Amino acid sequence: MNVLECGGLVKAFDDLVAVDDVGFHIAAGETYGLLGPNGAGKTTCISMIAGILQADAGRVTVGGREITTRSTEGKAEIGYVPQDIAIYPDLSARENLRFFGRLYGVPKANLERRIDEVLEVIGLSDRGDDRTQEYSGGMKRRLNIGIGLLHEPSLLILDEPTVGVDPQSRNAILESVELLGQTGTAVLYTTHYMEEAERLCDRVAIIDGGKIRAEGTRRELVELVGQRDTVTLGVVGSAHKLVAGLEVVSEIEKITATEGSIEILVEGASQVLPRLLDVAQQSGVAVSGVEVIEPNLESVFLHLTGKALRD
Amino acid sequence: MKSLVITSTNIKRMLRDPSTIFFVFIFPMMLILVLGAAFGGGFTPKIGVIAEGGGDYAQSFVDEVAEDEDFETITYSAVDVLIKDVERGVLQMGVILPAAYDEMLRTGGTAAVEFVGRLDQSVVQYRASIEAVAANQSAVFRAARLVEAQGLADFGEAVTTARVVASGSTGTEVIVETTGESLFGEDLGQFDLGAPQQLILFVFLTSLAGSAALIQTRRLGVSRRMVSTPTSIGQILLGETGGRFAIAMIQGLFIMIGAAVAFEVRWGNLFGAAALLIMIALVGAGAGMLMGALFDNDEQAGSMGVFVGLGLAALGGCMVPMEIFPDTMVKIAHLTPHAWGLDGFSELIRQGGTFTSILPELAVLAGFAVALLSVGTWRLRAKLTH
Amino acid sequence: MRAAALIARKDLSQRIRDKSAILLGVVAPLGLALIFSGIIPDTSGSSFDVQVGVVNNDGGVVAAGFVNDVLPAVEADDILTVTSYADEDAALADVDSGTLSAVYIFAPGFSDSIQSGAGGSVRLVGNVDQSTSAQIAKAVLDGYLAEIDAVGIAVGSSAVSGATDLAAITALATQETAAVVLTDIAADNRELDATTFFSAGMAVFFLFFTVQFGVSSLLEERFHGTLPRLLGAPINRWSILGGKAITSFVLGLVSMVVLAVATTFMIGAEWGNPIGVAILMVCGVLSALGIMAVVAVVSKTAEQAANWQSIVAVALGLLGGTFFPLSQGPRLLALFSKLTPHAWFLQGLGDLSAGSDLTAIITPALALIAFFAVTVGAATIFGKEVLAP
Repeated sequence: MNVLECGGLVKAFDDLVAVDDVGFHIAAGETYGLLGPNGAGKTTCISMIAGILQADAGRVTVGGREITTRSTEGKAEIGYVPQDIAIYPDLSARENLRFFGRLYGVPKANLERRIDEVLEVIGLSDRGDDRTQEYSGGMKRRLNIGIGLLHEPSLLILDEPTVGVDPQSRNAILESVELLGQTGTAVLYTTHYMEEAERLCDRVAIIDGGKIRAEGTRRELVELVGQRDTVTLGVVGSAHKLVAGLEVVSEIEKITATEGSIEILVEGASQVLPRLLDVAQQSGVAVSGVEVIEPNLESVFLHLTGKALRD
Repeated sequence: MKSLVITSTNIKRMLRDPSTIFFVFIFPMMLILVLGAAFGGGFTPKIGVIAEGGGDYAQSFVDEVAEDEDFETITYSAVDVLIKDVERGVLQMGVILPAAYDEMLRTGGTAAVEFVGRLDQSVVQYRASIEAVAANQSAVFRAARLVEAQGLADFGEAVTTARVVASGSTGTEVIVETTGESLFGEDLGQFDLGAPQQLILFVFLTSLAGSAALIQTRRLGVSRRMVSTPTSIGQILLGETGGRFAIAMIQGLFIMIGAAVAFEVRWGNLFGAAALLIMIALVGAGAGMLMGALFDNDEQAGSMGVFVGLGLAALGGCMVPMEIFPDTMVKIAHLTPHAWGLDGFSELIRQGGTFTSILPELAVLAGFAVALLSVGTWRLRAKLTH
Repeated sequence: MRAAALIARKDLSQRIRDKSAILLGVVAPLGLALIFSGIIPDTSGSSFDVQVGVVNNDGGVVAAGFVNDVLPAVEADDILTVTSYADEDAALADVDSGTLSAVYIFAPGFSDSIQSGAGGSVRLVGNVDQSTSAQIAKAVLDGYLAEIDAVGIAVGSSAVSGATDLAAITALATQETAAVVLTDIAADNRELDATTFFSAGMAVFFLFFTVQFGVSSLLEERFHGTLPRLLGAPINRWSILGGKAITSFVLGLVSMVVLAVATTFMIGAEWGNPIGVAILMVCGVLSALGIMAVVAVVSKTAEQAANWQSIVAVALGLLGGTFFPLSQGPRLLALFSKLTPHAWFLQGLGDLSAGSDLTAIITPALALIAFFAVTVGAATIFGKEVLAP
């Protein structure tokens, strides 16, 4: 069952059409990524889904309830984590959580228990009563996400939650998003980091210029482009002897040999790799290194838009 | 040289803030103008007049009241409005002529003019002036009635005659002279009293509220960055102090020159006035440094600065002249640099004093400056290197 | 409503932690009111004492009439306090030092000159700083001399008109009764005494700074990024604005009440009928809230709002006569001051001080409500964008 359904979303600011006919759906337990560079329309798009911004056209439902800026019932189903840290610096983490928890209508009986649980999840149990202005950047980020989790939403919207985060906190954030997917929460995740989208998302939409250019699982997207895995073998001795020997492997599409290494374009590298190594051994060529590069969303994005994903 | 860079950055930052422009330059001039206009000319009691009937005789009464330059005469039409304005202190007194004033006089009656005054005020004393007017008016009609009674002329003509006689009469004259040394100086200009008050008030207010900039610099980490550069702490402190001092001087000079040009305020002896301004700016810089070192939150320092600035100004005689303070409060006032600064300016402006005659005031201000600057820089040094 | 209350509660706890609200809402106005009550001598209610001297070197009937009949009468009415001097220099020295406000000096031969119809003059020497007192002394003398001159004018007019028996006319003229007399209407006091004036003035001046903490916190929510979060929460959007308004209202009202109570007990300010004061306070807080809300919605950042709010608060406070009673200054200024809520609030308190009649505050209260209505209307028109993320 789809938790989120949206379609035909349009939003223009004066002459600039920021979002142009965007639509997709997310099922329970599914993590859906919106991948695109800065200014692609990601934040505008999720602002409409979260009921923060009124769409010029289109329709959003969450759990079957329509979302507009005025719909309070539907919004209660959504957990929203803004891109910028959105917490009160002069209140403690616990107070921040309590305030938003009450705005989201978490019953008083459960509220304190939920706050404890969330503090545990985001690793702030021992600092929960300190004012957040004393927190490190990573702690603030974690609390920023924690507030969105407090009322156990069926849809969690994360807007670039890892921008400007140190690697350690970033990993913690990614891990907790992975866990969320397992608990049945639908997650809408925007990012311009290709690796994050690849790691977290069951399905990814590539968005640019306010339009969704392609959508699907990582595999589907890659196949859309039709690119193959690249295997690079580092060799000692004559590469040409190996090139000749590799001709027997039918899956190989292209071989490029340079001094000390061979680049092989192949379909299904994981299946083919043992045979490649066998051939090398038979040819008497010593392999000093192996690298397998699967085609990534970066290359898909480049293919679709002619632009690189950049910070 | 490095200190100068810090100083000039301080000035640049101040001049970019639109509210500073208002509070530092426009507002003090506005205050000098408004307060000078409202109170600089001394207090003129206001009298409200109603002459409903509109007859000639009534007009003559009103004219005579209006002629008195010791009062400002304002014409009213509704009795209840006039009474309410007297009650509110907008008017000091009111005079209401009956609608049938002329008629009463023409028919030989007694015209009762109503005098509105508050029992709690000194109206009984103002009343004497109106009584004198009534007596003067009365004299004309008494004379006219006598002439009419003798059959020499009709009443209207007789009034005209009596008026001519009254105005031409050698009569009795009161020659008014004044003596004594004026508290505020006799030839004190309309703005001369207020300008030094606002000068001192605002230089301190800006210095104290401006300490917020010092705290911002620390909070934004710019101070740490400055310390990390090959600049000694001493140079940094000198630069920051210079910044506070320069801002105080810019504002002080602006008010001094502006008031002199726009309102013809005379600041007295040039060297004396310059020395006073420098001392006041130094004290202000010191106070600003101290505030900036004591507080860690720029917003709190800003609002605290406004409060302390206004409080010291009120206490030091910058809002209400010290001349009317009770004696003990005058002593307390002299715990503030404001009072000493005002004493200095009053010596220069009203007594025509020179640099040497304000040496005591300059010495006390220098004492304030040394004390505040040393405590301020000492605390700030501790904050910067901690 | 529940959400608005929640937001207000959160804001209030933030404001209590950040000491600025307490500082500007209570400490600053109270401190300044205490200072003002200390430095202003309370002269209201007491008519000032006018000390005059008289030097009678004349000895004739005209001077004697003034010195022996008029002066004792005005002294009995508490208008003047009179001291007789034999020595002119001694009297002048006392005027010079300010012991006397003025001295009347009748020169020898004054009465004779008047009676002969040649006129005459009286010297009145006043102290330079006591011009009002000297003016009163002059008015007393003027009244008497007008009476003296009346006979002369009557005789003169008759002569001009052709009368011949001037002696008989003089006799008639002295018996003629006054044609114009003064009668009194006593007015109440609707002015605040100095202590109450400064207590109320400081309270309403700083009120504008206090209420801005609430309305401006909307801009702060934007700065901290929490505004989108509030917009995303399952609450009515207007309850966000409602929460801010409640915060402002509570802060403003609490500071006013605390100040009224504190100044009443600490320096004896007399605010007047508590119900009337409460009505004025509520209306005053609303008007301040409206004005600060307009400034907040047209500002882009919290800092910009704070800057302009200070400018507006200070300019209105000055014009409204919170530091100096401009309503009693020149007419034009008095008229301009009616453009500020401050002036209406203070006028309402003044009217209230005349008695406990609550109808007295209807006009000021309505004026304050009008400020609120107009500014809130303007804030809604200008503020459509304010709830954008």
